[in-house]
Amino acid sequence: MPANISLYTVNSIIFLDNDGKRLLAKYYKPPHGEADPDSLAGQDKKQATFEANLFQKTQKVNGDIILFENQIVVYKEYSDVIIYLTGGLNENEALLYTTLQGLIGALDIVLKSSIDKKSIQENYDMVSLAVDETADDGIILETDPAVIASRVTKAPTDDVNIKIDLSEKGLFNAFQFAKSKVSERLQQGF
Amino acid sequence: MSTHTYKKFEDLDSGALPDKMTVYQECLQAFNASPVQAKRCRLLLSRLLRLLYCGESFPTAESTTLFFSISKLFQHNDYSLRQLVYVAIKELSAVSDDVLMVTSSIMKDIQNGEIIYKPNAIRALARVLDGTTIHAAERIMKNSIVDKNQSVSSAALVSSYHLLPVAKDVVRRWTNETQESISDSKSFPSQQFLTHEYYGANKLPLSTYTYQYHALGLLYHLRNHDKMALMKMIQQLSTNSPLKNSLAIVQLIRYIGRIIEEDSGLTQTLFPLLASWLRHKSDMVELEAAKTILSLPGLTGEQHLQAINTLQVLLSVPRTVTRFAAVRILNRTAMKNPEKIVVCNVELESLINDSNRSISTYAITTLLKTGNSDNVDRLIKTISGFMDDISDEFKIIVIEAVRTLSLKFPEKHQSMLSFLNDVLRDEGGFSFKNAIIEAIFDIIKFVPESRESALETLCEFIEDCEFTELAVRVLHLLGTEGPKTPNPTLYIRHIYNRVVLENSIVRSSAVIALSKFALLGDESISKSIKILLTRCLSDVDDEVRDRAALSLKLLSSKDIEEAKVYLAPSVKYSLPILEQKLALYVSGDKDTFSTPFDISSIPTITEEEAKAYEYKEKTAADTEEIASPGKEDKEDDSQNEVFKQNLLHQQYSQELASIPEIAAYGTLLHSSAVVDLTEKETEFVVTAVKHIFEDHLVIQYNVNNTLTDIQLDDVTIVSQPDAEDVFVEEFIIPIEVLKPQAEAAIYVSFSRAEGIEPGVFVNTLSYTSKDVDPATLEPAEGDVGFPDEYQIEELQVSPGDYITPAFVGNFTHVWDELPNEQSAVYNLKDVTSIEESVSGLIKSLSMMPMESSEIVSSSSHHTLKLYGKSLGGARVATVIRLASTAKGFMMKVQVKSDDEIVSESVANNVV
Repeated sequence: MPANISLYTVNSIIFLDNDGKRLLAKYYKPPHGEADPDSLAGQDKKQATFEANLFQKTQKVNGDIILFENQIVVYKEYSDVIIYLTGGLNENEALLYTTLQGLIGALDIVLKSSIDKKSIQENYDMVSLAVDETADDGIILETDPAVIASRVTKAPTDDVNIKIDLSEKGLFNAFQFAKSKVSERLQQGF
Repeated sequence: MSTHTYKKFEDLDSGALPDKMTVYQECLQAFNASPVQAKRCRLLLSRLLRLLYCGESFPTAESTTLFFSISKLFQHNDYSLRQLVYVAIKELSAVSDDVLMVTSSIMKDIQNGEIIYKPNAIRALARVLDGTTIHAAERIMKNSIVDKNQSVSSAALVSSYHLLPVAKDVVRRWTNETQESISDSKSFPSQQFLTHEYYGANKLPLSTYTYQYHALGLLYHLRNHDKMALMKMIQQLSTNSPLKNSLAIVQLIRYIGRIIEEDSGLTQTLFPLLASWLRHKSDMVELEAAKTILSLPGLTGEQHLQAINTLQVLLSVPRTVTRFAAVRILNRTAMKNPEKIVVCNVELESLINDSNRSISTYAITTLLKTGNSDNVDRLIKTISGFMDDISDEFKIIVIEAVRTLSLKFPEKHQSMLSFLNDVLRDEGGFSFKNAIIEAIFDIIKFVPESRESALETLCEFIEDCEFTELAVRVLHLLGTEGPKTPNPTLYIRHIYNRVVLENSIVRSSAVIALSKFALLGDESISKSIKILLTRCLSDVDDEVRDRAALSLKLLSSKDIEEAKVYLAPSVKYSLPILEQKLALYVSGDKDTFSTPFDISSIPTITEEEAKAYEYKEKTAADTEEIASPGKEDKEDDSQNEVFKQNLLHQQYSQELASIPEIAAYGTLLHSSAVVDLTEKETEFVVTAVKHIFEDHLVIQYNVNNTLTDIQLDDVTIVSQPDAEDVFVEEFIIPIEVLKPQAEAAIYVSFSRAEGIEPGVFVNTLSYTSKDVDPATLEPAEGDVGFPDEYQIEELQVSPGDYITPAFVGNFTHVWDELPNEQSAVYNLKDVTSIEESVSGLIKSLSMMPMESSEIVSSSSHHTLKLYGKSLGGARVATVIRLASTAKGFMMKVQVKSDDEIVSESVANNVV
């Protein structure tokens, strides 16, 4: 069995809820060039059956790892979410698991230690970013939880800019802004 | 605004997916609004992503519209919005048109944007570029690769890697930058960790060196044609500036493995490097090093042991995945070299009760593979203890392993059978029961001593069997095996019970099974069978009545032999060929139906031959991966191989029969594999196949003219046997004209002396060559050409050409029984290992290894037991003892056979 010498390592990252329903699923294939014919990327029907069968096999079995349909699947189960990461049959199991732990550790930070269905849905933007910072179309970007989390920005605080910056610079900015607006109006002559 | 807020909460409470069209409309509206509201847009983008990540998709037109409205968001400078914009661009760029339009916005961000989303911008850039537009980004990419910010550099390296398939030439120009990055030290900007207030117990690293992994991956693909450069790279990365990232080391180990695979001469040079990684702080590095070392064939047992010791330690770490990986590697190693794993047996046994079922199953199957005759009984007992706790699927794997084991240790059949008997009583589905039945069938077939107790188990099983298919198979087996036992009447009762109690399918197969007992020749049995069959004549089912009537008719005829042909045939038709022929017959036009289908054209297989194939398959097709469909493919392959062999034999027979002189020789007994007589790259490639007939040897020389401008006329072979009294040349069928780039065959026929006569043929190819006009491929008019000769390699006829592999249940028994012992001693000089000579001997003698003696467990000595049949039908058994001495390898060959000549010539011509 030849080892995988390409950098394309992760086949998919999948989040399912406790009914086996999909919360997030990313099936990877190289953005340019040929995809592996066995890849599930772009195969909606096969993905659905794959997820259903996988869920059945892994639910309430805290095994961390399983070989399933010619893939290595590492996973972690929470109260109402299971997070899976899959790779090729010849992949290094420990490497995949470290990647999964990186992602999960990062989620733990950005979701403030509550990895569950509700907070994943509420913070879908940050979850998407965390997944995106873990693997880029199958290439592992980072495995350190703190680093992955530090690259995930929080949502902007508010649209209406009522945040008052009371520092000297802030006041100066406000003054400058007002000044420019006023002069603008004046120039337009009302 | 209030309605939106309301909607948002509704969504979250129900957890339902937002409506696709609503999201689409809202997105267009919000993204095109001015000024852009960052928070709301980020929320909408996350909804859009949620739709995409849950499997929804937009048609190209809509997706393109979305893509361009998203690009409007570049007006807003909020970095957190921008980051999510890039994720959305990545997702949509694959399904939208004209994605190139955003290139300039992205490039501006890479140059002047904020640090936090710079890497995202670079990665998005790789999606919108292609082979023709990449030039515009060259400078930016180069600068990003050497950037001191680890995230920026990684993003650039990964993006370059993505672009390799479309722009390898351009990416190649970045080799120096990539090279520089590997050894450079890069870090994260410190303000990056201000994103969140609290990082839990996680350390905030200055650098994780992951860019080394990405740079190495890219560099390998840029240099993989240049072995010298790769070697230099490995040297540098292992000594001067060692890699700090575990992923990078794992990758480097794989590259080293690949290099050794291609050039085994480097094995010993690179081994110390691999071994140094067997002790590493990261388990993934240790695992990868161990896996690579164990897959390399050119290493000594001592070197493999180092890797196994590492795995042994990893077997008892708390991390499940690591234990899994370690036991999986050991399992794979156990398939080829079970004896090497024995040191881990204690650890493996403690894994039998592991909470992860895959680990426990791997542990068991590995243990079963390492099993030797001393610990098999104990192992079986351990397994029986925990069979109740595991699922059907794992039980099947265990049973498969037991099956292989019972073929390996026929003398242990008793404990295996009692184990199988116990599990057969357990509750279980069809596939589980089927696996057990298969295992018992195999034991009966290949371990004759077990027959009676096994049959008894089966009889009990069908008393209460819910699966019709299994009952039918068991009945068939009882019919074939039952009459061979000393007390056949025992089974008749069990079979007849089925006739009384079961459904019509089972009843009809019971009828046939019953009638086989009547063929024994015992009057009283025949009489009672006839009575039983007569009762079946009043069955309600047509099929049962028909079968009973047919059997009665055959049994009441005077000629018991004729009844045997129909009721218990000793030869089977080769089913794949029969199928193929029938399909051909049916698909032909109407004319073909005017002649009836000729069953005699289908080759038949005697029971022994079939068994030999089956045995080979069963012992070879080992469980490679747990519950993976890959296994089935493998079995298909081995079946295909048998099928191909049959087909090839058939093809040869047809070709030869079309030559009248050769057709007169009778049926083709055996054809050898194709032997190369020239290098594959020469002008004329010659291969040979040896065909053996009753009194003749026909050598088929296939000549391939690889030239494009030369035509060969009158191509013949001067074939000179070393023993001229044994092989007398009768005729040659030359090739009259061999066109450029064509292939044709020359047949040289010899009459051969009786027995197994080896010989060496010195061959010379002679021909007249003519230049041809490349346009017409015809030689010039009047060109007489000039005669030439071409020396090709010798062709050897060895005893193996006269022997076919066969299976025997009890080798020792046959060995003691056979007369005509001959022995010879050889001194092997060119052989480097016992393994090599064993596999060579099996091939050259074309006999079947018995009692698993093809597995070499010691490097100093080995005993190989082989069995086969000569073409004349004589049994041949061979025991070969190999030992390594100071001067090389000594080999003692003992041969016994029904035929004295066979013994002698095999013994004297082994090498």
